[in-house]
Amino acid sequence: MKMEDMSLSGLDNTKLEALAQDIYSDLVEDACLGLCFEVHRAVKQGYFFLDDTDQESMKDFEIVDQPGVDIFGQVYNQWKNKECVCPNCNRSIAASRFAPHLEKCLGMGRNSSRIANRRIASSNNMNNKSESDQEDNDDVNDNDWSYGSEKKAKKRKSDKNPNSPRRSKSVKHKNGEELSNSVNADPYKYNYNTGINYETLGPDELRSLLTTQCGVISEHTKKMCTRSQRCPQHTDEQRRAVRVFLLGPSASSLPDADTMVESDCYDASDGQVLMSRLQWDGSSDISPSDSASSKASTNNSDSKKPKKKKKTSLGLNSTGGGGGGSGSGGGSSSQTSLVGLSNRKKKPKLPVPPTQYLDNLN
Amino acid sequence: KTDQLYGHYCSCLFWLNHRLKELLRAKLTECGWRDQLKAHCKDVIKEKGLEHVTVEDLVVEITPKGRVLVPDSVKKELLQRIRAFLAQHAT
Repeated sequence: MKMEDMSLSGLDNTKLEALAQDIYSDLVEDACLGLCFEVHRAVKQGYFFLDDTDQESMKDFEIVDQPGVDIFGQVYNQWKNKECVCPNCNRSIAASRFAPHLEKCLGMGRNSSRIANRRIASSNNMNNKSESDQEDNDDVNDNDWSYGSEKKAKKRKSDKNPNSPRRSKSVKHKNGEELSNSVNADPYKYNYNTGINYETLGPDELRSLLTTQCGVISEHTKKMCTRSQRCPQHTDEQRRAVRVFLLGPSASSLPDADTMVESDCYDASDGQVLMSRLQWDGSSDISPSDSASSKASTNNSDSKKPKKKKKTSLGLNSTGGGGGGSGSGGGSSSQTSLVGLSNRKKKPKLPVPPTQYLDNLN
Repeated sequence: KTDQLYGHYCSCLFWLNHRLKELLRAKLTECGWRDQLKAHCKDVIKEKGLEHVTVEDLVVEITPKGRVLVPDSVKKELLQRIRAFLAQHAT
């Protein structure tokens, strides 16, 4: 600094101005020197000319200023009309249509009707009722294979009862999927949103299912409805028909207006079911005596059975009172009424000895 | 008394110097002064030969040109700041 002799108080304006100028020129010189040192060092270290390009390269990368072309010289939609060869079907597809085509071709996209194709394939292979894909929603189409198979595996597991023996029936052919033949059933996954396939279930499981769920088998998906017994989509007739179909004509496990404490709370649904049955039968009376007697009889007979059985038979009792001989005992009347209900088109009822069916239920 | 003042001013001026240096460098880079001078350096180097150029060569060639090339706006602003600073400390 050249300001050593400064004591500013005694200076007048001209000197101050001169001082300012001095300071300024010092600063500028400093900047110049700084630049010189930098350049010199760059020269000596050899990096001074590094950021230069030779003339040829400069010409190559010059900015292009022609119409119809961007500054790099590329045409705008050059690749729109190119054609690609699909690796799957070996057809030549336009570039802009390639992605949707792949979706359909590989059967993996959202709108790929993969379900339908699978069904066809599996039905061809199995030549029986194919296990429907448990994907009612398109969302599963969006998943790729690994996730999809995971989901299926989970659902498969959920269908199995931990106590039931391994079933070969569940080994069905699926496209590249590994079926969960393991016995690890997750009870808490039981109630899956999209339904359960009744084919994989044993009679015990079916019974347990049918007492807790609606269970009506959907026409197109071949699955049991997992909603409650009061699900609005299905009528009680449907539920009864399903039970008959799955468990045998006498082994309907439809719960009823029952006061058995053991069961889950079906009170409301029972009442509703009851009412529908009443209407259906037309002139059915619920005679308390009948119910009582039936309760007693069924109690004795059903002591070993799972609770659902008790309930169902009891439930049917009430309608049985109206439908058939009420005096023959709760069991028979219940069975009778059940059969009658299921076959109502043909005959009002079928006289069936109660013991047979009770044994069956057991 | 002068020594004290001198010390005081030196420290102040040192700070001022530092601040102004930075300011000047930034402004000169911004206005392209630096690139201009660098191009001039290239000419000098090509003239003198890459291997043999010395600091002195550069200084001699560059500094006068550098002084001249400073834009007026930058010069004015810098002088303004200096004067303001001096006026502040004039008492």
